[in-house]
Amino acid sequence: MSKVGIIANPVSARDIRRIISHAGNLPINDRANIVLRMLTGLAAVGVNEVVIMPENGGIRTQLMRTITREARSGAKRFPNVTYLKMPVTCTAEDSAEAARRMHDQGVGAIVVLGGDGTNRVVASHCGNTPIAGVSTGTNNAFPELREPTITGLAVGLAVTRQVPTEHAFAYNKRLEVTVNDQREIALVDVAVVAERYVGARAIWKTDSFRDLFVTFGSPDGIGMSSIVGLLAPVDRLAPEGRRVRLVPLGQAKTRLCAPIAPGLIDLVGIGSVEKILPETIYLPSVSAGTLALDGERELTFSETDDVGIRLQTDAFRTINVPQCMAYAAKHGLLNTEAETMPRAAQ
Amino acid sequence: MSTNPFPLDRDSLLEAYRRMKTIREFEERLHVDFARGDIPGFVHLYAGEEASGVGIMMHLKDHDRIASTHRGHGHCIAKGVDVKGMMAEIYGKTTGSCGGKGGSMHIADLSKGMMGANGILGAGAPLICGAALAAQKLGHDGVGITFFGDGASNQGTVLESMNLAAVWNLPAIFVVENNGYAESTSVDYAVASDSYVDRATGFGMPGITVDGTDFFAVYEAAGEVIRRAREGAGPTLLECKMIRFYGHFEGDAQTYRAPGENEDNRANRDCLKIFRAKVTEAKVLTNAELDAIDAEVMDLIEESVRQAKSAPLPGPEQLVTDVYVSY
Amino acid sequence: MARMLSIKNAINEAIDQEMSRDPTVVMMGEDIVGGAGTQGEVDAWGGVLGVTKGLYAKHPNQMIDTPLSESAYVGAAIGAAACGLRPIAELMFIDFMGVCLDQIYNQAAKFRYMFGGKAETPVVIRAMCGAGFRAAAQHSQMLTPIFTHIPGLKVVCPSNAYDTKGLLIQAIRDNDPVIFLEHKNLYAAECDVPEEPYAIPFGEAKIAREGKDITIVAYGLMVPNSLAAADILKKEGIDCEVIDLRTLSPIDMDTVIESVESTGRLVCVDEANPRCSIAADVSAVVARDAFRALKGPIGMVTPPHTPVPFSPTLEDLYIPSPARIAEGVRKAMKG
Repeated sequence: MSKVGIIANPVSARDIRRIISHAGNLPINDRANIVLRMLTGLAAVGVNEVVIMPENGGIRTQLMRTITREARSGAKRFPNVTYLKMPVTCTAEDSAEAARRMHDQGVGAIVVLGGDGTNRVVASHCGNTPIAGVSTGTNNAFPELREPTITGLAVGLAVTRQVPTEHAFAYNKRLEVTVNDQREIALVDVAVVAERYVGARAIWKTDSFRDLFVTFGSPDGIGMSSIVGLLAPVDRLAPEGRRVRLVPLGQAKTRLCAPIAPGLIDLVGIGSVEKILPETIYLPSVSAGTLALDGERELTFSETDDVGIRLQTDAFRTINVPQCMAYAAKHGLLNTEAETMPRAAQ
Repeated sequence: MSTNPFPLDRDSLLEAYRRMKTIREFEERLHVDFARGDIPGFVHLYAGEEASGVGIMMHLKDHDRIASTHRGHGHCIAKGVDVKGMMAEIYGKTTGSCGGKGGSMHIADLSKGMMGANGILGAGAPLICGAALAAQKLGHDGVGITFFGDGASNQGTVLESMNLAAVWNLPAIFVVENNGYAESTSVDYAVASDSYVDRATGFGMPGITVDGTDFFAVYEAAGEVIRRAREGAGPTLLECKMIRFYGHFEGDAQTYRAPGENEDNRANRDCLKIFRAKVTEAKVLTNAELDAIDAEVMDLIEESVRQAKSAPLPGPEQLVTDVYVSY
Repeated sequence: MARMLSIKNAINEAIDQEMSRDPTVVMMGEDIVGGAGTQGEVDAWGGVLGVTKGLYAKHPNQMIDTPLSESAYVGAAIGAAACGLRPIAELMFIDFMGVCLDQIYNQAAKFRYMFGGKAETPVVIRAMCGAGFRAAAQHSQMLTPIFTHIPGLKVVCPSNAYDTKGLLIQAIRDNDPVIFLEHKNLYAAECDVPEEPYAIPFGEAKIAREGKDITIVAYGLMVPNSLAAADILKKEGIDCEVIDLRTLSPIDMDTVIESVESTGRLVCVDEANPRCSIAADVSAVVARDAFRALKGPIGMVTPPHTPVPFSPTLEDLYIPSPARIAEGVRKAMKG
């Protein structure tokens, strides 16, 4: 079905990483513009219905101002936009609720404006609906840095099946974390830190790092996964991950200078690096600590808790934007001959 | 008992709980006594917001200054102002912190760095710029923290002060206690950009948002922000998202709230319950210890009310004193 | 040997000497130094009329330019005063008080009282006042009654350079908030001013001219205007006593009453608008406390109940001139 969901949660990129690193904060105005650019891409290739997560953070106001004005002036560059009817809590929980509802509505894809954290929450709750990330969050290892207009085009071509499924989607790994019967996922990394409280969530005190599990890590990546990227890189496709045992600097044989957050490059003490395989349970190397999922502390555990970390392959789908556009170019999807009706919604 | 996982030692955790509980019981008692007609004037209760004030104040010393709002009892208690003096002040007695001359909205104790609750919204922001300027000129590492709500955030004084603090690189921290309501008007209506962080960056300082119902989230974030200010990194805006249990003032019927909202807040967003659960689950403090503090706090509040009620009211001589140092 | 100094330079000297004596004396205001952030000269202005020129060179850590944010920086001066500094905040024109009035009258004025005597707010707010500059309605007011009305504030408005230096030094050393008003049309007025620092206590009026027939009470520019009127009237056989109030809060009514008890007649001259003016205030107190001494009704010479007009002919009609003051005295002598 060629309906697309968009989740742009204004609470992302607002936390303490603006202070302890130099993470950006992307003003509301810019986020609204990103959504607008994406909508033009979707509309151009025939997506007529878009459903958006409601919020009180100001994105909606700016968006609807522009859409209403353009509708009044007769231009039809945007699809029909509706908002989910759901309560707004102004927390990350809104992303989760919106993801569930969009999946229930059967949207063809969900576009997520955010970083690793926001994408994680959406991927945890959207079932098998494919997602496309537009990087606007704090740490952007998972979502790609790409012009949203193009993301809109690619997502539109994918959900309208103009690009066949086998070209349109990529399959992604994820990490599953369990603490007793609580289950969470991470898209890029799970870090185990010695602090045993969630507090301000971000992690930056390298001496407290104990473990790092990643699904992928590239040498030019940012965030905790860069530790793997700079030691033993693994890409998004390989059916394996990595585990790094981290130690305080004083005890480390190797110290890696790693860009663990935007604008924060610090020394990390390396114990060892290993490959991890899918569907195997791994345990943290400490009996008590906190699990940080995609850069934010989420779950504390102590000696009496049962903790497991497991790599899963082909766990969820993303829209493969470069591949969609390459297919579109090769097969002239955006060309129209004089006798053919254009598929673009004009 | 396992080792303490929190960034405060046991004594500090007990102190934090004591301060929060003292605020809670102080306010709950005022709620009751006000309804009975015992208390003159207006009161604005901080109940529900304790984690914000205490999470921040745990990092401060007497030479750090704070300026508060009309909803100032919580900030006063968190900063160490004498509770019995506060109660007596609210009753307008000569034994009050201000000799009965100020009342609930003007409680102050400059010796503790508390520059006053303030009946004028946003008025504290420029004053704290002054406190921070004084720290710079006098050469000590004190910081100035101004507390204001989502409503006052729109006052020109706040916006001007943010710019001034950034221009002068002051060790000033702007804390937005966003409880969602400015009197009866929602923050969603009144704040056009909907983002204090965007305002902060627009004025040339960083801004962050934190869950104001979680003591540890506030404590950790505030610690970083305050440490950086002391080290010369300049001003920051810290938004604490929280809820207030009561109305804008006592007597407010709160018809602007959704049905069930107050009950939901008490059940699910009570910062004292959240704190207690965390420290007891981690086995750092016991329920018995915390209950003992509860009992001591109740005694303190009871004694404060008893003393306040029996203290004398000021007489005609006090009417004309302390207008000037000399005239 | 007399050392002649203008009011403008007396202000500069007072601030200079106090800043040298006490490093906690700091001053902030718009363009009090000038050139901040520009590629031109530092101390480019030294105040819009050059009153504070040269102070930055001598006291670089004590002179601070501000953005255009009166409520923020006047409030900051007040907050800093409560935290151990002795700030002087310059409001370029007293007419700008509207944008920072809360900080002055609800905060500074009331801290000591509201906090039960436990606060001291030693802040001076200096501002230009007065008409005659063709600066029009929003840059020419006196506004003295508004500040005088507020308990907790002290209000000073000198008429000459000698008083200006002594009263400003007193204001800086005073531990209460002081509104220090400088008439923009008097900046050039010179008289003999001692070089060493000296403080003139508040609440002491000065008899600027002794006389036996009628008492004229005035302050600010109205003092030289009243003295000029007295010269005119002398030729008509009317001998005027002119009292310069110097400070409006505290006010020295004893000197005024004593004078009225001797002359039996009173004219109050005020450049502020007539309703609730200083003239009305002094008149009412004299009527209450020295009624029996009065030989005739009290006169008041003030501008009309209008904003300050722009056109020179109108502005000159607005301000109580020596001629108009003399006319007011003649009328009071007949009553």
